[in-house]
Amino acid sequence: MLLIIKATKLELIKIFSKWRTYIGFATVAVLIPLIMWLVRKYGFGLENQALRSLGDSFEFVGSLANGLLVSYYLMNVLWVHFPFFIVLVAGDVMASEGASGTYRLWLTRPIGRFQVITSKFLATFGYTLAIVLFMGLCSIGLGLLIVGGGDLFVFDKGILILSQGDALQRFLLAYLIAAWAQMAVAALAFMFSTWTNNSVGPIIGTYAVIVVSMILAVIKIPALEIIRPYLFVSYFDVFFMPFSDPIPWGEIGVSLLKLTVFILTFFGISAVSFLKKDICT
Amino acid sequence: MILRTVNLSKRFGQRWAVTDLNLAVEPGQIFGFLGPNGAGKSTTIRMLLALIKPSRGSYEFFGQDAHRNSARVLRKIGALVEKPDFYLYLSAARNLQMLGELSGGVSRQRIAEVLEIVKLRDRIGDKVKNYSHGMRQRLGIAQAILNDPELIILDEPTTGLDPVGIKEIRELIVSLARDFGKTIFLSSHLLHEVEQTCTHMGIIDNGRLVVQGAVHDLLKATDFFVTEIILDDPERARAILTDETRIDKITLAENVLKVHAPDEARPEIIARLVQNGLKISAVIPRTSLEDYYLALVQHSDGQ
Repeated sequence: MLLIIKATKLELIKIFSKWRTYIGFATVAVLIPLIMWLVRKYGFGLENQALRSLGDSFEFVGSLANGLLVSYYLMNVLWVHFPFFIVLVAGDVMASEGASGTYRLWLTRPIGRFQVITSKFLATFGYTLAIVLFMGLCSIGLGLLIVGGGDLFVFDKGILILSQGDALQRFLLAYLIAAWAQMAVAALAFMFSTWTNNSVGPIIGTYAVIVVSMILAVIKIPALEIIRPYLFVSYFDVFFMPFSDPIPWGEIGVSLLKLTVFILTFFGISAVSFLKKDICT
Repeated sequence: MILRTVNLSKRFGQRWAVTDLNLAVEPGQIFGFLGPNGAGKSTTIRMLLALIKPSRGSYEFFGQDAHRNSARVLRKIGALVEKPDFYLYLSAARNLQMLGELSGGVSRQRIAEVLEIVKLRDRIGDKVKNYSHGMRQRLGIAQAILNDPELIILDEPTTGLDPVGIKEIRELIVSLARDFGKTIFLSSHLLHEVEQTCTHMGIIDNGRLVVQGAVHDLLKATDFFVTEIILDDPERARAILTDETRIDKITLAENVLKVHAPDEARPEIIARLVQNGLKISAVIPRTSLEDYYLALVQHSDGQ
């Protein structure tokens, strides 16, 4: 166990020594302040669209567009766009070492293959958690700083207004859940990465699976209902659930459990593949 | 006994790459594992380092079953398998630090020490991608000795090196055994490398061990110490040397005297001929192991 912890630390060093790891962080660090600054300068257009239909029934005083509302909208990137940053690293973790031949040197040390793959998987999870939380921190922190705070106004089977304190707690929960959902993406890319010695394949492969699954998940054809439970993207929206009232803990738990099954399945397949992998040629 | 294999065998599909290999390596030896390309040397080393599983047989390190105590025995072994592949985007020090961690941890001082031994101390902070092939090979040896192992396994460590690099690596190997008391298991297809470097050897061909023992004893027993001396009067030279006890055999061919005697007797033999007024124009130590090796391998192929 101690060796796995040590090896995970070393895997994290490897991951964070590569420039590709910082593409996601850099993009988030550049884009989010830019978006927040634009919102502050030019306003939040969606606010007007959203409120126009409610204008007949309600009277709003002041502005509902604040940093938290922008952050809430920004969470939509977690569906399709943000996984690119996950796949970029997770798809490389196993494949790059296969290509460079470093497994041979690594495995002449007193460490087993299962320990190696487990530590790599845990490190991939560490990266996923780090970048999702970074996105959350930047989004909420810079939102509050640049655009300003206030109550969060969301639509959930009607209008739901959350106090800033309540909203922040729900954001924290939402991003932790989002990290787990993104881990399913990472685990899929990790699995593909185990099968090849070139990281391009896993990146394209994982993205293809995500896009195709999304298409299958959103097309409203009753016949497709049969396969939806077997698509991990069907449970992706779990990170929006903390913004419902009351929080549907049961639904969240079930979705997280199903995502966990996907994650463990992908890891299990990866482990079996790696245990049998020829690392000598 | 540092290493013992018992009927160690490996099959790939229908082909036996290694068959019933029985090796024995004692402490302090520089054991040359010699054989032509494709003889089964790398397959054997991969089995010994648990990179692949044997199809049959067993092997022990330090008297312990290596399969059951894999992690424990690997702690006492340093290895370089063919081309050492490091993390190119990391420095030499970082690479060594990470590899050392897996074997129980290593201090910065120790990293500096081993880099000093392989003459890379001044490049400690450089990324490995900026290293030449020879430097990477030396770094490979540095990682092999990093955790002060009892046994160092080196698989073709001079592959792809220039003559200067080859000489440096060979000197380093001898120094590791002589100055640091390490046991070395050196795989090579280069006859003179084994002859110059090793105290003991095993010859493998077509996956089978042909012979093993002390290099000196094997050569002595099989009459392969030969020095060719070109001089003005070979007949008189033979007569002068007839009472030399360390000479096994003397043969004549035109003006060449072929003396079958151990290497260490050579200076005295030459001195004696010169003292007796003979004019020597050349002394050629034959690559005796080559003759021996070819004889064994040809015999093995014939069977």
